[in-house]
Amino acid sequence: MKVSRRDFLKLAGLSTVGAVACNIFPDREFQEQSPLRIPEDMVTGVDNWYATTARGGIETEGLVIRVMEGRAKKVEGNPLFPTNQGAHSMRSEALLQELYHPDRIPSPMRRVGARGSGQWEPITWDDALNTLRDRLSGVSNRNQMLMVTNSMRGSMANLAQSFAQAYGGRSAALDLMHETVAAQVVRDLFGQDRMPVFDIRNSEYVLSFGADFLATWGSPIQFSKGYGHFRQGEGRSRGTLVHVDPRFSLTAANADQWVPIRPGHEGRLALSIAHVIISEGLGSAAAVNAMTGGNRNVLEAYAPERISHELNIPLIHGKSPVDMIKEIAHDLASHGPRSIAIGGGSAGAHTNGYFNLAAIYALNFLVGSVGQQGGVILNPPAPTPEFGAFLNPTTVRDWQGIRNDIAGGAVRLVMVRGADPVHSLAALDFAGAINRDDVFVVSFATVPNDTSHMADLILPERAALEDWGSDVPNIGPGFQVVGIQQPVVNPLPEYDPMGFGDVLLRMAAELGIANKAPLNHVTFADVLKDHARGLQALNRGSVRNASFDAFWNRLLQQGGWWDEGSRGAAPPAAPRLADIVAMARDAVISGPTGGNTFNLLAFPHISLTDGRGANLPWLQSTPDPITSVAWTTWVELNTDTADLLDLKEGDYVNIEGPNGRSFTARVYHHPAAPKDMISVPMGQGHRNAGQYAAGRGANVLEILGLPVEERTGALAWSSTRVRLTPAGRNDSIPKFEGIVPAFQLSEHEAIVKVTNEG
Amino acid sequence: MASHHKWGMVVDIDRCTGCQACVMACQAENNIAVNEEVHFLSRRAHQWIRIDRYWDGDTKEKGVVTWPDVKARFIPVLCQHCENAPCEPVCPVYATYHNNQGLNVQVYNRCIGTRYCANNCPYQVRFFNFRDPLWPKSLWNHLNPDVTIRSRGIMEKCTFCIQRIRRAERVVEGQRGEQLDDAKLKAGNWMPACVNACPTDTLIFGDLNDPNSQVSRKSQDPRHYKLLEELGTDPNVVYLKKVDPQHAQHA
Repeated sequence: MKVSRRDFLKLAGLSTVGAVACNIFPDREFQEQSPLRIPEDMVTGVDNWYATTARGGIETEGLVIRVMEGRAKKVEGNPLFPTNQGAHSMRSEALLQELYHPDRIPSPMRRVGARGSGQWEPITWDDALNTLRDRLSGVSNRNQMLMVTNSMRGSMANLAQSFAQAYGGRSAALDLMHETVAAQVVRDLFGQDRMPVFDIRNSEYVLSFGADFLATWGSPIQFSKGYGHFRQGEGRSRGTLVHVDPRFSLTAANADQWVPIRPGHEGRLALSIAHVIISEGLGSAAAVNAMTGGNRNVLEAYAPERISHELNIPLIHGKSPVDMIKEIAHDLASHGPRSIAIGGGSAGAHTNGYFNLAAIYALNFLVGSVGQQGGVILNPPAPTPEFGAFLNPTTVRDWQGIRNDIAGGAVRLVMVRGADPVHSLAALDFAGAINRDDVFVVSFATVPNDTSHMADLILPERAALEDWGSDVPNIGPGFQVVGIQQPVVNPLPEYDPMGFGDVLLRMAAELGIANKAPLNHVTFADVLKDHARGLQALNRGSVRNASFDAFWNRLLQQGGWWDEGSRGAAPPAAPRLADIVAMARDAVISGPTGGNTFNLLAFPHISLTDGRGANLPWLQSTPDPITSVAWTTWVELNTDTADLLDLKEGDYVNIEGPNGRSFTARVYHHPAAPKDMISVPMGQGHRNAGQYAAGRGANVLEILGLPVEERTGALAWSSTRVRLTPAGRNDSIPKFEGIVPAFQLSEHEAIVKVTNEG
Repeated sequence: MASHHKWGMVVDIDRCTGCQACVMACQAENNIAVNEEVHFLSRRAHQWIRIDRYWDGDTKEKGVVTWPDVKARFIPVLCQHCENAPCEPVCPVYATYHNNQGLNVQVYNRCIGTRYCANNCPYQVRFFNFRDPLWPKSLWNHLNPDVTIRSRGIMEKCTFCIQRIRRAERVVEGQRGEQLDDAKLKAGNWMPACVNACPTDTLIFGDLNDPNSQVSRKSQDPRHYKLLEELGTDPNVVYLKKVDPQHAQHA
């Protein structure tokens, strides 16, 4: 037998270990090596865990990543991080697949064919960066540069903002999931730039309107953490959740009472509840006086008996809408400061969204829960302005202007990072706007997307687990938190990505605009360290150390910094109900009318959200919790309505929107869908976003008529009406549930046993 | 092998929202191949832990619940690690057996793929590999080195993340000479992947032989029941009933 030098060393090493082991290892070690043990035990090697943070889709989660031999193996929640407290979402789990995605862009690429032809040639980073620099310095007017990003926060937002300002270009942030309307209401009612946190954990009664906070709204993992305790926490009684929503969302499915309502009428219901509280003397007297100004008749028009017929609330378990409203008002008020009214999602996504949410959030003042444990707790601002930087998402109204500027030739250079406007702004035909010879499009991307497909230059970006960063959650835990993102692994040798921050810093240096912080740093890691010095100088919170190196190491080990002693401002004066009543108006729902028309309720997909997770196979294969459908777009149609229309599950239907565009998707029979509405998830319909997303399902955003919320200009994605016509073909729907619908059997045989005693 | 443990789980379905975090954590930890569209269509998707959704409510003549008096009920279902497991005696090669820690164990390199065990399991939690699992080469990088990849012809199922239990035993009991308990399992990230991920703390794992463990205490909750208890399988997974204040009026 030929023994190589390597084999010899291995054998020699083994025998040495064996000799030593005989003396020092306990007996158990030898038992564990027994061939009778199952093989899972046989791995050798040491794993390392690195803390980081990432915004995998909706809100920041503190994470710890298991790394073995230079490869990231598993994502877990960081138990220390105050928002997610050790739990994590499937969106964070899938960061591994972004890291090792088979479609990752290995090197910079230059377009060689026609725009959108998908023909590229690899180039060196020197070539790529020289091209970018020449384009940046070549525009005749700096205002012709447009930087499109996701709604970045923290150090990267600070850097991107500084770059755009120093350079003199425009920047726009794209995030259709952002609660622009809720943020404005919070600003006006609570006087806060950050969203408050709803202390569901300590609450006794939660009334939510449209906000699918257990799935995709706000900070779902943080809220879910609280929800578990709200339901069955030790040392407390079980909390009650009532969810008002036209659609049977995941939060509706988990509510003790789901209240279906006519879309756009959530604010009226909130005022009707307020009317009962005031007229029956249920709320805090001081708040009632302040909010009514002594005029107890201010909400007279909203008495349940007067407006319940407008709300289209059905008889539920034989209970009339009037009784339902009164019951909610009594329950909400009886729990006083430990009750919460949350509004968002579809309730804010109407042309009258601001009115709806203002009326909903005002309920918290009426019952005295603002600033109270178990109520609505205000979040303090970020500890330093650098970490507090936030690129506020551009509204759809403004996007329409930007789109026209591009199409009209006023923009010559478009840099896109972390966003996919060709997909998200399909209704605006963003692809058509940038399809001009005199527009140069640069895409920073890890994996191809519909926008990078249209680009002239693609710069491969570092994946989230390979990059630096920081983030201050928009919905913090009620005190200051900064999450720190660090590279947990190096990029694979076959990839040559560069961080977006590093590219900006290099461009700033080459363009001669790097004269002050943060642009005067060489790497983005230096920027982050510089910002961390600001935290160190505060000398408070979870990490404190006189030595910066020690402070920095601890910051990375812990995954961030937080100060439980910091608190939000005192609650402001309660709003006047007369002001809110004055804003009341009807939602304008645009679209086709007549036969076979339905209100369209588009909703963010639980794993793909608005489409940003569509290229990751784990997220594609996550069944929707209610329908169990995966990998495609479906149309939720009430079972009875489907029977009336003679539509079977899997029948393709054509959905035509107000702009005349349409898409085709398969019907899912849904017993809890309202009869005159259809619901369609966002997230699919990518054309060129890699092998897992391209050509799959339909993009519901494409057919919205782009109605906007009147006061904020945000996309009113609930205010659309569509026509449904059978497409005449049928195919099976990929779903996890069985072919025969699963219903609960008798209590004795039930799989899910139910009791009414908490 | 340490035999003083009896591993078990409590699933409080009143906390479960159906969010699927456990499902994805399990896929990642246990090298379960991506369930592609074709696998859903052919009903061969693998999920060692799954969320079943049942419709509940008033029914009309077809037995279908009617809007709006309809509720969705979620329940995570995984291998119940039965003490009297129907899957075990039917295996001709002893590929599945009950170990002395309460685990129903599957030995992949003994399995010859008769599928008798899946046939006999009333919980539908055993999965047969009708194909070799395929990942694009780059995704091999995130595969867990602690977990065997199951080839075509092999039956697989939830193991309670035995690789984590073994690591915990080796480190805490073998190396440190200490007793393994809830706190140490948590501190080392050795709870099963689904338990670690669960945002609502629906899933509680631990040693049923340890009277101080959370799982022991919770398994005595007045709401406790076992799935298909009448079959006498005696599962080591205990469920806590869903609470619905409206239930009595509408059962």
